[in-house]
Amino acid sequence: MTTLRADASRKRRRYDGAWPWLFVLPLLIGVAGFYLWPIIQTAYFSFTTWGVFGGSTWVGGANYAQLFTDPQLYRSLLNTVIYTAIVLLGVPISVWFASLLNTPGLRFAQFYRVLFFLPYVAMPTAISLVWRMIFNGDFGVLNWFLGLFGIDGPYWLTTQWFALIAVSIVGLWSSLGFSMILLGSGLKNIPPELYEAAELDGASRSRQFRSITVPLLTPSIFFVLIVTIISSFQLFDLLYAMLGTHNAVMPKTMSLVFYFYQSGFISNDKGFAAAIAIFIFALIGLITLFQFRFQRRWVHND
Amino acid sequence: MPATHTRVMRGRRALVGIVSALSAAALLAGCSQGASSTGAANDTTYKAVAKDTKANLTYAVWDQTQVKAIDANLKGFNEQYPNIKVTVSVTPFADYWTKLQTEASSNSLPDLFWMNGPNFQLYAANGKLAPITGEVKAGAIDPKNYSSSLDELYTYNKVEYGVPKDFDTIGVWVNKALFQEAGVALPSDDWTWDDFQKTATEISQKLKSKGIYGVSAGMDGQTTYYPTIFQAGGYVVSPDGTKSGYDDPATEAGLQFWADLIKSGASPNMKQLTETAGDQWFVSGKSAMYQGGDWARSEIAAAPIAKDVAVYRLPKGKVDANVIHGVANVVAANSKNKGAAQALQVYLASKEAQQQQGDMGAVIPAYNGTQTAFADSMPGVNLQLFLDEVKVAKPLPVSKNTAAWNTLETNLLPDAFDGTKSVSDVGKDLADQMNAALAKEK
Amino acid sequence: MTEVSASARGTALRSTDVASAGIRSRQRSRSRRPSHVWIHVILAIGGLIMALPFLWQIIMSLSTNAEVQSVTPVFWPAHLQWGNYVQVFERMPFLSQLRTSVVITVIRTFAQIVLCTLAGYAFARMRFPFKGVLLGIVLSILLVPSQAYLISQYQIVQSLGWLNTVLGLVAPGLFSAFGTFLMRTAFINMPRELEEAARIDGANPIQIFWRVMLPLARPSISALAITTVLFSWNELLWPLVVSTDSSQMPLAAGLATIAGDVTINYPVLMAASLLAMAPVLIAFIVMQRRVIDGLATSGLK
Repeated sequence: MTTLRADASRKRRRYDGAWPWLFVLPLLIGVAGFYLWPIIQTAYFSFTTWGVFGGSTWVGGANYAQLFTDPQLYRSLLNTVIYTAIVLLGVPISVWFASLLNTPGLRFAQFYRVLFFLPYVAMPTAISLVWRMIFNGDFGVLNWFLGLFGIDGPYWLTTQWFALIAVSIVGLWSSLGFSMILLGSGLKNIPPELYEAAELDGASRSRQFRSITVPLLTPSIFFVLIVTIISSFQLFDLLYAMLGTHNAVMPKTMSLVFYFYQSGFISNDKGFAAAIAIFIFALIGLITLFQFRFQRRWVHND
Repeated sequence: MPATHTRVMRGRRALVGIVSALSAAALLAGCSQGASSTGAANDTTYKAVAKDTKANLTYAVWDQTQVKAIDANLKGFNEQYPNIKVTVSVTPFADYWTKLQTEASSNSLPDLFWMNGPNFQLYAANGKLAPITGEVKAGAIDPKNYSSSLDELYTYNKVEYGVPKDFDTIGVWVNKALFQEAGVALPSDDWTWDDFQKTATEISQKLKSKGIYGVSAGMDGQTTYYPTIFQAGGYVVSPDGTKSGYDDPATEAGLQFWADLIKSGASPNMKQLTETAGDQWFVSGKSAMYQGGDWARSEIAAAPIAKDVAVYRLPKGKVDANVIHGVANVVAANSKNKGAAQALQVYLASKEAQQQQGDMGAVIPAYNGTQTAFADSMPGVNLQLFLDEVKVAKPLPVSKNTAAWNTLETNLLPDAFDGTKSVSDVGKDLADQMNAALAKEK
Repeated sequence: MTEVSASARGTALRSTDVASAGIRSRQRSRSRRPSHVWIHVILAIGGLIMALPFLWQIIMSLSTNAEVQSVTPVFWPAHLQWGNYVQVFERMPFLSQLRTSVVITVIRTFAQIVLCTLAGYAFARMRFPFKGVLLGIVLSILLVPSQAYLISQYQIVQSLGWLNTVLGLVAPGLFSAFGTFLMRTAFINMPRELEEAARIDGANPIQIFWRVMLPLARPSISALAITTVLFSWNELLWPLVVSTDSSQMPLAAGLATIAGDVTINYPVLMAASLLAMAPVLIAFIVMQRRVIDGLATSGLK
């Protein structure tokens, strides 16, 4: 698309004056009060031994020194990365499904949309139980199904690696609906005329997908990518719900946020947990920053 | 219901997990206003408030199913104190502690609330609870009316803080039909560890083709290995809360009991018992015995196997032993309506109130002699056993930061039970890590 | 203001012309539309995989607790237990909690749409000092585990005197970094011609935002609305912590209470969760419709 650049008179001024502040201040005030302040507090407390009910003693970098020598940190990091990688497989899948759903004149599109939306709207309390029954090693449907092909399925939720894979599969399943909603809104912004023209020119459907859908959807894809990575790094609820607290495979499967939770809320070592939180913050921050730098190479901005 | 952390997390871990997942828990940020108010905690004076005292109280609990009985109690309370209005605040167990921690850090604890053993010392040591010393001195509460083990559980540094409201003990639930099917004789009242092992193994062998096991258990401390540790003469944590007992040979013998059952095939293995909980094997007719608490009653009573069920006492090891735990009502140290809150605490501790609790069903009330309704609730099943076991029961082992080493138990012990490592190796490793955790408490 | 919209619409057409590179002159023939059989097959299989756990959940909600607890799965109950749905209303104050859920959700969704579209627009299209830094700060709040905020937020709400009030329930959820980022993404890719035309017509930034940009962002606003509704609907810990009266809590809290019972009645839990899901599903279907209708009337089709 060609773009008309801003007119000359506007270019002379660097800023738009007071208007932008009117737009952003209501949000910024809330963010500062309810979110930024807690982060600053957490950062401070990560340098202290923090009492269960308040009160803290400055200990310098001791929490970080302890953190970086704890093998559990690296194991949790590895697990989180693996989980994120598997859930990210959902991005191309949802691009594909979302574009199929966006086929002009497709009947029942609304019905399909609802189907794909179901996992997202699920009450996690109830649906995790269903998944636990599906993955159950002795009586689960999945192993029964594998048995039909002569495969002896593992104890999914209590075996190292398999537990992580099972959790990732459910994570992938529940993320699809969310990604598809975001991608769907991006797809609606692509002018239908482009497809009609391409069709008249004889371009195949897969060709249209590659040459029109994907390039014009890159801003939305970029967005979904960032959000998926950030939320995958926050893996906690699902892990807790699928494996439970009394599972010996948990230390080998736990995510960074679970590690944080266990240190802060189960073992009541809150200063140490604050250090983990700040570590997670810095790590995802760096990844996100890197993605923003890298996006210019592939994201189509008009 | 009387729930220890252990028990609820185990039996319901699926859902409780999910729920608290949504919620996770608490807090890393927090102003320092949470500094402990030890001054208030040391104030042990008690003077009964006037009957016409006006106050609004919040009473925090975690079990929705008990609210009806609580409301009935409050009605009785309001006949004495018509102007004290009580709001019952129900928070699901997994989120209850998160909420309490948040409130404790912000000095806004509910006036009166439920406390359990594993969390008690943390709150007591930080000056968050009002002692009941004054009420005891004034004769408003007499600790002798409750099991001495429970009294011990809620005493920290020789100061009593909580009045028990209910209790739980452990027994062996037996499916008589499966015994008959396997052609194995029912247990005798004085059975021993050996008898138990033999019985369970024999049933597993006879009914193997049907996928039925001799025994299943929750594999947590309270229902499973704390009782056997005590029966073997071992201990979990030293009385002064400084030393782990897991490297003690007697304690290890208590763990070996379960490793042997799994090894002989008498019990499903750890993976099986983690994916399908012990009570589920039992109520589905897939295990002939289930070692568990009295609280399994309502689940078992609703299952198809209910008509074949009986309860037996735990088999005898070196000594007779059981584990007792109960929930207590505690008053917040800095409650603005401390007098009124204590009046409610005293009322809820009374025989009248606890009798009503017991008669209305969900729990075994703590006040001695008010438990008959529970015993009669499943005729022919011998629920009386859970009451009789109080005599030999020891309090649930706890320390100031119980949860820290409960996690270690959960993470390390399965290797011992499954035979992946020897019990003594795991025991030593666990003892070392637990000692480090205990040292941090000071 | 009609001038502005008219002019904006004209520009919209012009930009579409540009986008479709002159192909517009050709006939818009749909006669050659290929068959959708394969698309239907793929979507049906995918949709079935998505929906299977729910079908099972529905079956469970109609079973007895013993059937659900049975280790060998019971795929169809002996008798359909519709009574489970009746029990939901006995076990939790469903209607008052439903009302709380709706109130919280509506307030938050409305607030987020206003705050996030405004801020997202400014971050996407306006120039002001420290823009990059401020955007970075807003996004950074997504990077901290949410549990880390709890105590601080509680104490802020406490000091404002908002404990046990609707304000306290909704407060932190009014501000969304995710929503801001979503709306920024939506605005940043819109053709600049529209704004320029409106500006030349003498519209001020509020007018441009309201009359020109907001209608174009409708699909993204609906995505924002859906994500906010779900976040708000399923949120559990915050309402449990800031309020004490269970009838003033949202549905998710009621479900948690059932799930937290010492002896959980699984079928009732399943039934309750399906009932709690229903309003969100309906909202989703309605919103989808509105988006499509909205597109049809905005002249962009």
